[in-house]
Amino acid sequence: MQYGMIIDLERCVGCHACTIACRAEWEVPVPYQRNWVKRLGPTMTDDGMASTYYPGLCNHCDKPPCVDECPADTVEMTFTDYKSGKTKTMEVAATWKDPFDGSVQVDKERCLGCGACADACPYGARYVNPDLADDDSEGKVDKCTYCKPRVEAGLIPACVQTCITDARIFGDLSDPNSEVSKYVKKGAKGLEVKGGHLGPNSRYFGNKKDMGLLFADYTPEMADMGSVKRRAMMASMVKPAMKKAKDIGLLGLAGAMLVKGLSDNEDSK
Amino acid sequence: MAFNLTRRKFLQTASLAAAAVPLSKVVSASTGVTKAPLDAKGTNGDKTVVGGICEMCFWRCQLVGKVRDGRLMKLEGNPKSIDNGTAICARGNAGVKLLYDVDRLKYPMKNVGKRGEPKWKRISWKEALDECGSKLKSTVDKYGAQGICVFPHGSSAKYPMHYFERAVGTHNVSEASFFQCRGIRDTAYVATIGKAPGEKIDMPNTKVLFFIGDHLGENVHVSHIKAYIQGLQNGAKLIVADPRFSASAAKADIWVQIKPGTDTAYILAIMNYLVKNNKYDKKFVEEHTDGFEEFSAAISEWSLEKAAKECDIPAEQIKEVAEMLAANAPNVAIHPGRHVSWYGNDFQRQRALACLTGILGAYYVKGGWVPSKGPKVGGVSWAKEDHGHKYNLNFDHHEDEKVHPFNPPGTPTELIRDCAISGKPYPIKSCVVWGQNPMQTIPGQEKMKDLFRAMDFVMCVDVMPTDVTMWADILLPEASYLERYDYIKKGTQWDLSKEHQQYISARIPFIPAMFERKDQIYITNEIAKRMGHEAKIPVKTIEEMVDKSLATANLSIEKLKAEDGIHIQPGKDPYGIPEDFEVLLYNEDIEDAGHPGAPTYKPVEQPPKGFARLLYGRAPVHTFNRSQNNVWLKNAMPDNPVWLNDQVAANLGLIDGDVVGFVNSEGVESRTTTTVKVTPGIRKDCVYMYHGYGSANPLLTIGVGAGVDDQSLITKLAVDPETGCNGMRNNFVKLIKDGKVLDIPA
Amino acid sequence: MPSPDTSQDIATLYRFLAQCMHYPDSDWMNEDFLNVFYNLLGTLGGIEEGVEIRKSINNAEDYLEDLQVEYTRLFINGVPHVVAPPYGSVYMDKSLQGTFAGNTLAFYREKGFAMDQNADLPDHLIHELEFLSLLAEENDSAGEKEFLKKLFRPWYTQFHARVTKEAHHPYFRVVVMLIDFFTKEEDEDGFQPNEA
Repeated sequence: MQYGMIIDLERCVGCHACTIACRAEWEVPVPYQRNWVKRLGPTMTDDGMASTYYPGLCNHCDKPPCVDECPADTVEMTFTDYKSGKTKTMEVAATWKDPFDGSVQVDKERCLGCGACADACPYGARYVNPDLADDDSEGKVDKCTYCKPRVEAGLIPACVQTCITDARIFGDLSDPNSEVSKYVKKGAKGLEVKGGHLGPNSRYFGNKKDMGLLFADYTPEMADMGSVKRRAMMASMVKPAMKKAKDIGLLGLAGAMLVKGLSDNEDSK
Repeated sequence: MAFNLTRRKFLQTASLAAAAVPLSKVVSASTGVTKAPLDAKGTNGDKTVVGGICEMCFWRCQLVGKVRDGRLMKLEGNPKSIDNGTAICARGNAGVKLLYDVDRLKYPMKNVGKRGEPKWKRISWKEALDECGSKLKSTVDKYGAQGICVFPHGSSAKYPMHYFERAVGTHNVSEASFFQCRGIRDTAYVATIGKAPGEKIDMPNTKVLFFIGDHLGENVHVSHIKAYIQGLQNGAKLIVADPRFSASAAKADIWVQIKPGTDTAYILAIMNYLVKNNKYDKKFVEEHTDGFEEFSAAISEWSLEKAAKECDIPAEQIKEVAEMLAANAPNVAIHPGRHVSWYGNDFQRQRALACLTGILGAYYVKGGWVPSKGPKVGGVSWAKEDHGHKYNLNFDHHEDEKVHPFNPPGTPTELIRDCAISGKPYPIKSCVVWGQNPMQTIPGQEKMKDLFRAMDFVMCVDVMPTDVTMWADILLPEASYLERYDYIKKGTQWDLSKEHQQYISARIPFIPAMFERKDQIYITNEIAKRMGHEAKIPVKTIEEMVDKSLATANLSIEKLKAEDGIHIQPGKDPYGIPEDFEVLLYNEDIEDAGHPGAPTYKPVEQPPKGFARLLYGRAPVHTFNRSQNNVWLKNAMPDNPVWLNDQVAANLGLIDGDVVGFVNSEGVESRTTTTVKVTPGIRKDCVYMYHGYGSANPLLTIGVGAGVDDQSLITKLAVDPETGCNGMRNNFVKLIKDGKVLDIPA
Repeated sequence: MPSPDTSQDIATLYRFLAQCMHYPDSDWMNEDFLNVFYNLLGTLGGIEEGVEIRKSINNAEDYLEDLQVEYTRLFINGVPHVVAPPYGSVYMDKSLQGTFAGNTLAFYREKGFAMDQNADLPDHLIHELEFLSLLAEENDSAGEKEFLKKLFRPWYTQFHARVTKEAHHPYFRVVVMLIDFFTKEEDEDGFQPNEA
């Protein structure tokens, strides 16, 4: 399975409902954002005067460059397909690509807040929320999750639900019969980086003029990985200091289990 | 640090004990925090509350609220809605931030300083109402009911407006939504087809959509946009006449880059072409119109060439549009517009649109103008009383007729202001402002200030400290649309080709009113009691009003709640023309009143040398300036860049993002600055900006000074002669960069 | 660990500070109150502050109205703008009832308290001081310390700065100084770390 989102520019009117609904749903503080709408043009193109929108969000890439840059220690994590119940165990840092639904997720508990992943993202789809800073970090990274908690509860993403023209369509790109796959067959395309193969899964559909304008204005370059790596390295170097924090984290985990054990006992009384 | 002890030392010494004893005597015994048992776990999921009706704009979508621990976390479209469905726009989504806006009015306040330079003091409701009641009563006792003028706006202002009009008996009521917005549209269509048109065009099922200045997409009303996009998806052609490449123009098949102010000439030429070439609907004209001869004679001068010259567009394109309309008639949707008070020649333009729809036979047919058949729900308000014409400012007693014969309900704003400021023909000494912000919605800010200065008493009721509230003597905090019962929203499914359904819903609060905010029924009734109208009070509470209205449709608040906030019932087929339906292509009454009886183009003033015409419009994330202080919306579109033609910009040496101010042809400068948006998508003779920015009121801590207030530059007011409404697009500006005034090249 | 008696006194102190932040009303803002207030200042060595307040009260035509206008301007709706709304969420979330208010309420719950029906919002300065007083009554100094650190000081320092800078009336400047004084974190020796 690979979740994906289509944005139909023929339908989109650039109203910003999606960005505000996301803010409300996930308490995203101003001025940060998980998704955005930019107005393009009016400008003269080869196909005539054009003006359209760039409603952007995380592309949950096939090969997400952000995931590799996370300097947090890896842990073994077991993933469960909420549909089939199948499980899979992988070594992951604090951010990963879900082996079942293909979405890119973050574990805020273990995030160091270094921002290397945000720097690595050519779309600017991640931000470090400094309000969530704690003793172990300067903040926590936040991003679009394709509304994973909502989707797993049987809802659709908040931006899709509120879209006033049904310009946003969410679904499984690996299912050829899904609405999103039909759009891909009709020509929906992701904003692939120049000369790269990230495989963005948020894709755009529109007429030639509007698509031309969008791709001319917002085809990104790969991030300067040199500086990303430096950032990640620095975060790793301060790890000795973080170690203390980690120990506390482990203690906290044990403590929580103890409490849970006790309350279980109480329940059984 | 002033204190010579540290906290720790102080707490360790005997001084604490010594100090604590007297302290305990002067503190009140109760606290807001009381000991309670630990909550049972399991209420973590947010509660869904039904029955909300949005009021971030006046389309009023149906909502549900997500409530956590008494906090409203999120608003969503009501899944049961057949209007907006689960969708709500950016403003609707940001309603939470209006509810919890820290600048919102919380308690009644009295100005103990000068009017317009307030020093606010929180007072009790009793004191506030006593003051309002006694001051208004003394105005009535001294000067008569006409001594009170009222500026109402929004659904909560209906009840108090009826009180002042009907029970108190003043004609001096002016609603901005009529006089500065859509009033002309309504009266022009009434003078043509006998009814106000709303925006009731069957867009999903049309073949051609024709917009004059409508910029859907920037102007967002959810189900209207749904219908518009559905129409395009279904293959409708879109024609947009606009000096600017608007959001709609960007989706159009034909963009008519028309010269501002010349729209009527354009429509007349289309109609003349249709008539001359026998491309109009003869059967419809014969059966359902009147005055075709006078009409066709009156418009016959408008050849394609003449209009092409006047409108600065190719004759060939006018023909193309006319042919497209004729080829697809009668399934064509001529949009009646919404905000139409533009140039002071607007009544005639609106008449022309209604006539064009008529000669294309596009009334009551698929894809044309079709009023849906909604459910009937009775309203409850103050009983109507006849107060005669004696003190009606819109009545010429010599001629024994109205000054502006086709005026919308109420009295034109200018007549009220002139009377209040001059004291002639009679004194107006008290002013009630309810939900309207006439400092920004009505052009001529200095004149408005003069009105307030002439008053003995000014009271304002609002949810936010808008610009006008600075002029109040007493300022009352109203419960917002999320905190009160109120409006009954009814209608049908938005796509008329789908199963015919009707819905009825009522506004039900998501959370109790915070602080000391009250609803309009309470406030109005308490004032009425103090003015001696207790016996006439129609309902005691707002719940009673809503329940009484719902009862006329066999519903109640309880029943609605049980039906998830919306009652749905079978509807009726809206297509099919009523036999007596008639389009007055030529209207004798208009002629008799001294105005042209057939749609007629009146040229408007042109920009003086070096100036460009100032045009304005809607931003999709704002409702005028009402939403400027919303932190989420402000963040989405923080200012209103001025659109400037790219060639003009090159001539002036301006580039995208340059910061500019403005000066208008009367020498008025903008208080603030904004950035330049350089684009080929606007004509050279005009500039454009979103309306509602640049609020002057420092009480709006988020919105103040962001962008430029277009209204402050609209100092010249055209008055539409038939209606008395204001035309606001005859103002001309130059840009100011780094203190230097730049001449706009011709 | 403070003795139960001391705790009770600290509780009273918090309650007094809360009282100082109520809308000035003749019910409580009277000679008796002011005398107690001056006394407390005297005990703390704040004689000058007391004199300054006394002066502006004695010189006023209607000192209560002055205080009411100033309270309204500072904390409710003011010109040129509401200076310092006394709600934590305003500083942390730029809105009333933000996440911070939710966290504050959750902390009250955790400690076994709930908001009264007629209460203002949970993160109102008065309620936070009342809550601190209730914690002190229960001798929960760990809870007091945690609350101050996590949910009180982060916004109070900003609030305090705004009032100090913008207040026209010395009464409010001194009240926020008192609250600051009694809620500041100190090390063993009574030194206060710099707050960013």
